[in-house]
Amino acid sequence: MYAIEITNLTKIYKTRALNKGEIKALENVTLNIEKGTIFGLLGPNGAGKTTLVKVLLGIVSATSGSAKLLGENVKNYLVRKNVGYLPENHKFPNYLTGEDVLMYYAKLSGYEISKKSKEIEEYLQLVKMGKWRKTKIKKYSKGMMQRLGLAQAMIHNPEIIFLDEPTDGVDPIGRKEIRDILIELKNKGKTIFINSHLLSEVELVSDKVGMLNEGKLIKLGTVEELTTSKEIFEINISETLPDLVVKELKTKYTFQINNLKISLENANTDKVNKFMDELRKLGVTITSFNQKKESLEDMFIKSLTETKN
Amino acid sequence: MKNILTIAQFTVREALSRKIVIAFFAISTFVILLFTGIFAFVPFEDLTGMIRMQNKEVINISKEIVKMFKLFVIAPLFGGGLFLAIFSASGFIPNMLEKGNIDLLLSKPISRSQIILGKFLGGVLIVLANIAYLIISIWLLIGVKFGIWNIDFLSSILTITFAFATLYALIILIGILTQSSVLSMMISYLIFFIFSPLLSARENVAMFTDSKLTKYILEFLYYIVPQTSELGSIAKDLALGQRVISFQPLLVSTLFIILILYLSIIIFDKKDY
Ligand SMILES: Nc1ncnc2c1ncn2[C@@H]1O[C@H](COP(=O)(O)OP(=O)(O)OP(=O)(O)O)[C@@H](O)[C@H]1O
Ligand SMILES: [Mg+2]
Repeated sequence: MYAIEITNLTKIYKTRALNKGEIKALENVTLNIEKGTIFGLLGPNGAGKTTLVKVLLGIVSATSGSAKLLGENVKNYLVRKNVGYLPENHKFPNYLTGEDVLMYYAKLSGYEISKKSKEIEEYLQLVKMGKWRKTKIKKYSKGMMQRLGLAQAMIHNPEIIFLDEPTDGVDPIGRKEIRDILIELKNKGKTIFINSHLLSEVELVSDKVGMLNEGKLIKLGTVEELTTSKEIFEINISETLPDLVVKELKTKYTFQINNLKISLENANTDKVNKFMDELRKLGVTITSFNQKKESLEDMFIKSLTETKN
Repeated sequence: MKNILTIAQFTVREALSRKIVIAFFAISTFVILLFTGIFAFVPFEDLTGMIRMQNKEVINISKEIVKMFKLFVIAPLFGGGLFLAIFSASGFIPNMLEKGNIDLLLSKPISRSQIILGKFLGGVLIVLANIAYLIISIWLLIGVKFGIWNIDFLSSILTITFAFATLYALIILIGILTQSSVLSMMISYLIFFIFSPLLSARENVAMFTDSKLTKYILEFLYYIVPQTSELGSIAKDLALGQRVISFQPLLVSTLFIILILYLSIIIFDKKDY
């Protein structure tokens, strides 16, 4: 049994504004996520990441297709007993204190605790919010709200945790702390689903990543599979190349050019040297040169431009 | 059921965080203190004796005074109390539906019908508590002072709360439909202060027209618009131990509450957030 099972899921939002009509937020998404793994869902703004999570949590109803959590159809609201959720831009009633929030939301998940319960202290410590427990959340900063939200998503000890942009507004040290928490949860056998556009972060913790664009799942695999082991040579030049020259060069080499940055893939040192010779012959000044491995971010940008063309 | 209670508890907690509810309690306390003061310092016994001397017939003066005091509580409580109650309750649903808040609530193992019923129950409970606080205190004061322990008066706790429940169901429906607290509030006030009184006097209104159709429309509207005006009369009559002319408004309003809550649930169920 998978932790999360999504089959041919489509979601069309009907908007009342006449000029728009329908928005296809998800199109035929099929995806299975194994228990005890961390899954990262990537995609540009408006790709449908939040919508996918909302369908899984019964906040939005699917137009067609089906989804299961822990083997149970998401239409059954009781499956959510075992689910934690940190929504993007979440808001708690601002008259509550940190400990109130944890107590109330645990209770809503069917997990009775009192203010004295050790869980409250434990989880507040975990997200480094211990000394704020009696402060009204009205006074919390953005990152503090995010930390509290994370504690709220974990306090009832759920099997699956959905995090929508969990590190939004959190400082770099906090991000590292959150990553550590996620890994610890995974080690306890929990399944974690993260929505993010912070690729470098997803890359650090995810076992598997998927990429959503305009509602379609365009990539799916482990981080290694998606980034491959391709080496990229990057050449920076001092002025833009005339179109004609680019055309000419493209007949001999495969490369991508983005303003003053040229990147060559699948090239060996020999070929790169020849390429640079040609540039110099044209009177182009090379400002820098480096050789790097493709990151998730490169893959992300590349597959987005690929789908656009 | 447990989920409904949890949501209700949440709603009461929210209500208590509002200044308006605190103000309601404060005003109630003030009224109670005022009564205590009047009862302590005004020598009603002498007054009764004086009137008895002038009029040869012995009328039960203290009973009349008590009646006056009761009216002095019921009438403003029905008008002013419900005014405040509507004001504070109109924000419950729109606040709940705010982005970032509703997502989290819906992600919990609670069905949407439980959420609506819990919200309804919570709102009604807080108003009930408030009204009970005031009415029971006044009842005790009157009892101690005049020795009149008439439980009829206590019935107004239920009748006034019931009138609120009728409007609150509508507030919930409008809140779900429009997410606007201002609109819920305005429509409730319109019904409470204008439509219901007008429709309860529909015979007088119909006098100005010969059209049968208008009369039918008025009659029809009378039954579908919450009959808060009628509920007010029932509250008054019961409290003063007078005969109630017709209990039909109670029945119609109960049906109204059930229907409106049912509709709210159906609509809420279909919505994406
Ligand atoms: N409640 C809604 N009603 C109508 N359209 C919606 C609704 N929610 C989202 N959409 C639309 O669905 C599409 C996908 O939105 P979604 O919020 O899922 O994107 P996202 O990938 O989470 O974006 P971001 O990275 O900015 O959070 C967008 O075009 C958005 O306008
Ligand atoms: Mg999103």
